[in-house]
Amino acid sequence: MYACKFYIKIPRKNKNYFITSRRLTQVRWSRYNAQYLEPEVNRELLQKSWDELSEEEKAEQELKAVRPIKAAPSNVTSSVFSDPMISKFTNMMMRDGNKVLARSLMAQTLEAIKRKQLEKYHQAPEHEKDKIECNPYVIFHEALKNCQPVIGLCSITRGGKTYQVPVPLTDNRKRFLAMKWLITECRENKHRRTLMPEKLSQELLQAFHNEGAIIKKKHVLHKMAESNRAYAHFRWW
Amino acid sequence: MDGLYSSWRQKKRPPLLRPTRPLVLANKVANRREQPGEATCITEMSVMMACWKQNDFNSSACAEEIRMFHDCVAKAEKERREQAEKAEEDTWGLRENLTSSKANKLLRRFPNITRYV
Repeated sequence: MYACKFYIKIPRKNKNYFITSRRLTQVRWSRYNAQYLEPEVNRELLQKSWDELSEEEKAEQELKAVRPIKAAPSNVTSSVFSDPMISKFTNMMMRDGNKVLARSLMAQTLEAIKRKQLEKYHQAPEHEKDKIECNPYVIFHEALKNCQPVIGLCSITRGGKTYQVPVPLTDNRKRFLAMKWLITECRENKHRRTLMPEKLSQELLQAFHNEGAIIKKKHVLHKMAESNRAYAHFRWW
Repeated sequence: MDGLYSSWRQKKRPPLLRPTRPLVLANKVANRREQPGEATCITEMSVMMACWKQNDFNSSACAEEIRMFHDCVAKAEKERREQAEKAEEDTWGLRENLTSSKANKLLRRFPNITRYV
């Protein structure tokens, strides 16, 4: 922490600055200075030989010889089992910083999905066995992709009235909305005695087959956007 | 200030402008909205929505239109970013008009000195 004589907190764009007697002091953010580089976690890149790298990658590697590197955070691994989408989803499920619980719930969800699919697989006749997807990671990714909305709504005020204008969404926003809908749906609309992994696995399997409450929510959003398509010209970007 | 009061004797009317503060240039310019842009990809969006209406909002049936919409959006985004970068790097270029933010930055470096201590 930097010492400061008196400070006023102002709601600036970057909220992590305090004004101290007309100079800005950085508070509560990264302790690394600008020289530090991010650690390389990607295994495939590390296994490539020097000749196989492209020009930019070679330049990057040469830079790493002279610059210090940040410590890798604990949620970042180079293991084959780590998946950034699953990590993001676990973090969104986490409450009060209880990562242990969130991770165990995620593991139980994936196990539940696998069990259900295996049951279906063993009960299905021979010619249908190929169509049943048993990999829970594939099901998770496919379900999330099906839940992502294509177009969103944005409130734009014109002449005193606020209109809901259809607006294209960025990839990050789509992913966030899909995950958020999934989690809120599973938290609110379940029976008191069903556990989260059970409900989540049900919702994920339904989303994988393009059914269920979250897909319906997505369709409702699309319908709203479609009904408001006359206001699309209010956008300026 | 002379221009206001000098010709009073001839015109026999008091000056029209009575400045409440001294007429001194401030060290900032007002925010000016640069050419409100237009909404991009509207045709793609309307095509996609027509397809949705026909196929009852089924995503798999309209995959082609959705893909075209996404491509259009990505292209518009890239263009906008390139334009912003171009405007950014041409900061002290001698174009006719500066944006208000650049004018403010210049004025902050070379302000109008009003007080002498």
